[in-house]
Amino acid sequence: MSNTELYTKKPLPSKLLIFGAVVTLIGAAMSGIAFAGDVQRASFGLIMALMLLISVGFGSLFLIALEYLVGADWSVPFRRITEIVAATSIISILVAIPLLLNLHEVFTWLRPELLQADKYVAKKAPYLNETFFLVRVIIAFLIMAAFYYIFSIRSFKQDLNPTEGFRKTSAKFAALFMPVFAITISVIAMDWMMSLNPKWFSTIYGVYYFAGSVLAALAVVTFIAITLGENGYLSKKLSNDHYYNFGALMFAFTNFWAYIAFSQFLLIWYANIPDETLWFMDRTQGEWMILSLILIFVKFGIPYFALLTRPSKGNPFRLRIIAAWIFFAHVYDMYWNVGPEYSKLAGLKGPVYGLAELAAPIITIGLIAVVFYLVGKGKNLMPVNDAKFKKSLDFHL
Amino acid sequence: MGIEIINEPSVIYGKPSLASIDDAIIKPTNEVPSKKYFMALSVTITMLLIGAVSLGLTFYKGTGLWGLKNPVGWGFDIVNFVFWVGIGHAGTLISAILFLFRQKWRTGIARFAEGMTIFAVMTAALFPAIHTGRPWLDGYLMPYPNQHWLWPNFTSPLLWDVFAISTYFTVSFVFWYIGLIPDFATMRDKLAKNADSITQKIKKVAYTVLSLGWRFSNRHWSHYEMMYLVLAGFATPLVLSVHTIVSFDFAVSIIPGWHTTIFPPYFVAGAIFSGFAMVQNVLIIIRKIFDLEHIITIDTLEKMNKIILVTGMMVGYAYGMEFFIAWYSGHEAESFAFINRAFGPFAWSYWIMVSCNVIFPQLFWSKKLRTNIYFMFVIGVLVNVGMWFERFVITVTSLSRDFLPSSWSYYVPSLIDFGILIGSFGLFFTLLFIFIRTMPVVSIAEVKAVIEGSQPTHHHDDEGH
Repeated sequence: MSNTELYTKKPLPSKLLIFGAVVTLIGAAMSGIAFAGDVQRASFGLIMALMLLISVGFGSLFLIALEYLVGADWSVPFRRITEIVAATSIISILVAIPLLLNLHEVFTWLRPELLQADKYVAKKAPYLNETFFLVRVIIAFLIMAAFYYIFSIRSFKQDLNPTEGFRKTSAKFAALFMPVFAITISVIAMDWMMSLNPKWFSTIYGVYYFAGSVLAALAVVTFIAITLGENGYLSKKLSNDHYYNFGALMFAFTNFWAYIAFSQFLLIWYANIPDETLWFMDRTQGEWMILSLILIFVKFGIPYFALLTRPSKGNPFRLRIIAAWIFFAHVYDMYWNVGPEYSKLAGLKGPVYGLAELAAPIITIGLIAVVFYLVGKGKNLMPVNDAKFKKSLDFHL
Repeated sequence: MGIEIINEPSVIYGKPSLASIDDAIIKPTNEVPSKKYFMALSVTITMLLIGAVSLGLTFYKGTGLWGLKNPVGWGFDIVNFVFWVGIGHAGTLISAILFLFRQKWRTGIARFAEGMTIFAVMTAALFPAIHTGRPWLDGYLMPYPNQHWLWPNFTSPLLWDVFAISTYFTVSFVFWYIGLIPDFATMRDKLAKNADSITQKIKKVAYTVLSLGWRFSNRHWSHYEMMYLVLAGFATPLVLSVHTIVSFDFAVSIIPGWHTTIFPPYFVAGAIFSGFAMVQNVLIIIRKIFDLEHIITIDTLEKMNKIILVTGMMVGYAYGMEFFIAWYSGHEAESFAFINRAFGPFAWSYWIMVSCNVIFPQLFWSKKLRTNIYFMFVIGVLVNVGMWFERFVITVTSLSRDFLPSSWSYYVPSLIDFGILIGSFGLFFTLLFIFIRTMPVVSIAEVKAVIEGSQPTHHHDDEGH
C-alpha cells in the first residue's frame, strides 16, 4: 500500500489568505497609527511582535529538530505543519525592519547621554553597540533561514522526489541545530528584551525565553493541526492519541516555564541585590504588581489545571481551546517583559495598553495565517514520503 | 517508490524465551559468589572502614581535623554531598521521566539505576549528618512538629534540602520497591520447588514477605500499572526539585560565583550528566560479569552516551553563560570571581572541570566512539571526575577569595577529608554489591514486556519486519 492512499491532498481554502491578509493589515494599520502618534511606544509594541514571531518560527524549528533527534513517531504526521509554521521565523524580518530604523527609540544603551550616566552600562559598550548588535541580528536571521532551508524546504522537496537517507541527514543536522539554537535564542532574548533594561542581567534569561518560545510554537502547531484535522485536511487515520501528545508536551513545558520563571524570581528576590531586583521592582510596583500576579495564573495556573487530567489532553476540542490560551499567555508574557520598560522610559507609573501594544498579537496571528497559506499552498500537508509516515499514523498510546 | 522503511532495533537482542530471561536475571542471586566478587567486596568494605575511621576521628576530635579554615568554611563536606546527590539523579530520570516519554530502552537499565539512586542518596545524606561534627544532634534535622521553634530558620535552603532529599528518597524508594514486587514473586515461585536447604528456606521466607502476596493476577497488574504511572508522575518533578534546591544552597547567597540565576537548571543538567556517567560505568561491568549483554544492549549504552553528550553541552552552555554575564554585569566582583576560577590559584581544578565535562564528551559525536565499550567507560570516569571538580570549583574558588583580600587563602584538604571521600565510595559500592547478589538487577517483568512479539499492538502489515 502506498503512502499516498493514506492521505489525500486537499488544497488550503483561499479564505485563509483573506483572513490572514485582513488581520495583518488591521495590525499594521494599528501599529502605523501608533507610529504616527508615538514612535517610541509603537516601537516597543513591535518588539513584542518580533519576539512573538521568532518564538513561533524558531520554536517550530526546535520542535522539528527534537523529533528527529529523539526519533518520535507520533509527531511525524504533523511535521509538515511545523515545517510550514517555521517560515514565520523568516517573515519576522518584516517586523524587524521598522524596528531597526528606530533602534534609538527603544534601546537606551544607544544614547550617549545615558551611557555616560551609568558606569555599569558604559562598561557593556563592547557588546551593546549598534554595529555588533546589527551583526548579531543578521547572523541570527541567517541561522534561522539556513535551518528553515535544511528542515523545511528539504522536506518539501522530499514530497516530489523521495531521497534515500533523508531522515539520517536530517537527524545529523538536528544534532548540529541544538547547540546553535541554544546560543542563538539566548542571544536574541538578551539583545531584544534583556537589554531594554541595560543595567539588568540574569543568566537564566535565555532559558526563560526558550521555554516560552517552545510553548508558543507548540500552541500554534497544535491549534493548526487540530483545525486542519477536524476539517479533513489531514489523514483520516489520525486519532485522539496523536493529539494527546501535544497536550502532554504543552503540560511539560508549562511546568518548565514556571520552574524557570520561579527560579529566576526566587534567586533575585532572596539575594536582594539592587542591580538585580530593579527589573522585578519595575514589575511589582503599582498596577504592574497586579499584572505580575495575573501572569502566574495566565501562564501557569490555568494551563496547568486545564492539562492535568488525561481526558483534557485526549480531547482535541478542549485541547484547541487550551492551545489558543497558551498562545495568548505567551503574548501576555512578552507584554510583561517588554511593557514595563516602556512605562519606565516614558515616565509612566503603570501599564499602558492601546493600539501599539494590541497590534503585536494581531500582526503575529495575521502573519502566521498568511505565511501558512502562501507556503502551504499546493503542498501536501503531511510528510507523505517520510520513512516513518505510515508507522506514525498507526500510533496508539 | 523510493521510500525508506525504518525498522528500529529491538530493545532486547535475540528472542530469548521467558524462562531464560528469569534464569539470566535471577542467576546472580542463586549461585555462591565467585572469589572475584569477594575480592571486590573486601576492597569496598576496606574503603568503607577507612571512611568510618576518619569519621570516628572527626567525631572524637571535631571538624578541626578537616582542611577547613577561614574563609573556606565549606569544603569536601558540601562537595561530596552535591556530588552524590547528583549521582542519584539518573535513576529516577531513567525510571520515571523516560517512562513518561515511553522510552522502551530504559527497561533493561531502570531497576539498576533506581538502586543506584537509592544508594547514592543514602551516601549523600551522610554529609549533612556529619558536617556539623556533632552527630548526636542529627535528630533535629528530621522534620517534626515545630511548636517550640527549634527549627529557627525556615528561610534557609539547607533546611529545604532536608525536606527535598527525604521526599526524594521516600518516593524513589517506594517507586523502586513497587517495581520489585512482581520480581520478588517470580523469585519466590522459582524457589518453591526445591526449598530444602536452610539458605533456600530463609530466601523463600524473605522473598515471600517482600512480594506482599503478589499472585500475578490481572487485578494486581492493573493496580500495579496505575500505581507505577502515578509514582512516575510524582517522581518527575522531584528529579528537578532536589538538585534545584541543592543549587539554592549556593545561589540564594550573594557570594560572587554562587549567585547566578541559571543555577537551578544548570545543576539539574549536571546531576543527570554525572548520574548517567556513573550508571553507564557500573552497567558496563555488570552486563559483562553477569552475561546480560543481550538485555543491557550496546544500543542502550549508546543512547545513554547521547544523553551524556546533551547534558554535557547544557552544562557547557551554563559555564559560558555564567562567564559572559559575569562580564556583562559590569561588576568587578562578579568578573573577578570567574577570571579567578579560570586563571587564579585553583585554575588547575577549573580546567579539569572544563575538559572533563565539556571537551572530552564532545568525542561522543562520533558513533564509532560512543559505541566502543572501553572508550565510553573512560569518558564516563572522566565525566564523574569533572563533575566532582565542578562542585569543588564552585565551592572553593568562590570562598577562598573573600570580600576582604586580607583574608584570602588557599584551601588544602586534609587526609581525613580524603578518608571520608574514600569512605563514601566504599559505602556506595558495598551497598551496590549487596544489592546485585540479593535482588534482580533488571526488571524481569518489564523486560518480558519489551521482547519482540510481546506487544499487544503488533504490526501486521504486508511489508514485514
